[in-house]
Amino acid sequence: MSRALDRTGIWIGWAFFADLTNALALTFGYMFSRPVTMQYPDKEKWLPYSRYRGHHFLKRDDEGEIKCVACELCARICPCDCIEVIPYEDEKGNRHPAKFEIDMARCLFCGLCEDACPADAIALGQQYEFSSFSSADLVVGRDDLLGKPGKATTGGGVVAARLNTEQDVLVETSEPQGYNWWRNIRRR
Amino acid sequence: MELVVALGLILFKVALLIAILLLLPLPLTWLERKIAGHIQQRMGPMRVGWHGLLQPVADGVKLLTKEDHIPAEADRFLFKLAPILALAPPFVVFVAIPFGESVSVLGTKITLYVSNMNVGLLFVFAVIGIEVYGVIFGGWAANSKYAVLGSLRTCAQMISYEIPMGFAVIGVVMLAQSMSLLDIVRAQANVWNIVYQPVGFFVFFVAGLAEAQRIPFDLAEAEGDLGAGFHTEYSGIRFAFFMVSEYAIMLLTSVLAVILFFGGWNGVLVPLPPLLWFVLKVAFFVYVFIWFRFTFPRYRYDQLMAIGWKVLLPLSMANIIITGVAFL
Ligand code: SF4
Ligand code: SF4
Repeated sequence: MSRALDRTGIWIGWAFFADLTNALALTFGYMFSRPVTMQYPDKEKWLPYSRYRGHHFLKRDDEGEIKCVACELCARICPCDCIEVIPYEDEKGNRHPAKFEIDMARCLFCGLCEDACPADAIALGQQYEFSSFSSADLVVGRDDLLGKPGKATTGGGVVAARLNTEQDVLVETSEPQGYNWWRNIRRR
Repeated sequence: MELVVALGLILFKVALLIAILLLLPLPLTWLERKIAGHIQQRMGPMRVGWHGLLQPVADGVKLLTKEDHIPAEADRFLFKLAPILALAPPFVVFVAIPFGESVSVLGTKITLYVSNMNVGLLFVFAVIGIEVYGVIFGGWAANSKYAVLGSLRTCAQMISYEIPMGFAVIGVVMLAQSMSLLDIVRAQANVWNIVYQPVGFFVFFVAGLAEAQRIPFDLAEAEGDLGAGFHTEYSGIRFAFFMVSEYAIMLLTSVLAVILFFGGWNGVLVPLPPLLWFVLKVAFFVYVFIWFRFTFPRYRYDQLMAIGWKVLLPLSMANIIITGVAFL
């Protein structure tokens, strides 16, 4: 088609609102596409990737002894100054933390503490549901940190879940593997 | 006795109309949010009731229980008057709107309209013009720059769009040889007016969008640049009045489009009850309104004026002339 004809075509289209009609057709198509909404917390829940930086956890070694040697390097490197470590020495002469507190309200989840640790004792795990009504509850001690879930193994995704408010607010899920919500997104 | 029955019937019809018009915004807001959600690949309200069906009720309770705030510097009288002025006219207009011919219940024929005025169309346009005062007073009385700007825009917008709208329906009046909405529908028994008056319908619909203050012409309450426009300072039940008024006008525009251009309750091909036909057509237009809202961006103010005066007005006049030449 010659350029002049092309131009007339565009003008005719413009006169009959071809552009507006295109837009309407597009939004109409979208109306019948699958929503990408993740219905958290009622029906679905996000499983984090293994590299996800959530709530910290402290690791134990093979003997069940806490790995941390209370060197306080994590406390030093922390940009928010939210780790407090007080060491003690056990019978065998090994240093361990008597007190190990992280103020989650101040933490920015940078992961520097994990990088700095020489003993591979602290890491940021998969847990992300720890909101609270009082900031005092967000100061987590050593024994709580030892019990926190570790790194995720799922590789991300959405799973079916159920909101349970019987005792506490809890989002329960049973499936270990999630579906990839990304493929739901409709693209032109 | 006859008189009492007739009077009772009218009262009943009016009460029914008011109830329907007051309650209809509830499902409409739900629908609007649902359609908005799905157009944007979201789900819309999901948590209150089944698929969020009770969300409008929750919103209504919220609006009713909220503090009804009047700014300190506001003109208190006008501030209180404005929501009523905005709400009443769309309700009054429905008195003149026919929803069908008549049905017979228990042997008595009941007409599906409150009154068949022989100047119905004129009445509709005259009364709906009053609604603008609600918007203007509301913006003025609030004593806030955003509200006043919203009102100013509304003023200009209403004037520039009511003229082409009025001209657009003249073609229809010429075809039906009557201003009565009932006669206009009857005249379309065989061929709908949209066949003869596509341009008229186009002008009417665009002007109707502007009249109902819907996107792409919702300049009066442009959230982005004016806060919420003329109702920036309103809260609680008074704000709800404006919302109900907006939905009633949207409904009215849809109803008028159906009556004037799409054959009212006259069906085509499929024999459905006339009232059902009417409701279906109106529902379609309501959907189109919502669909437009989530498809188009808002026009700029000068573009709005240019469309009104440079496109719609000449088009509507040309439409009248061509109709006159062709049919008279
Ligand atoms: S993640 Fe960052 S901010 Fe949080 S405790 Fe570790 S070093 Fe501090
Ligand atoms: S967690 Fe690691 S860095 Fe922190 S005190 Fe213990 S051993 Fe040192």
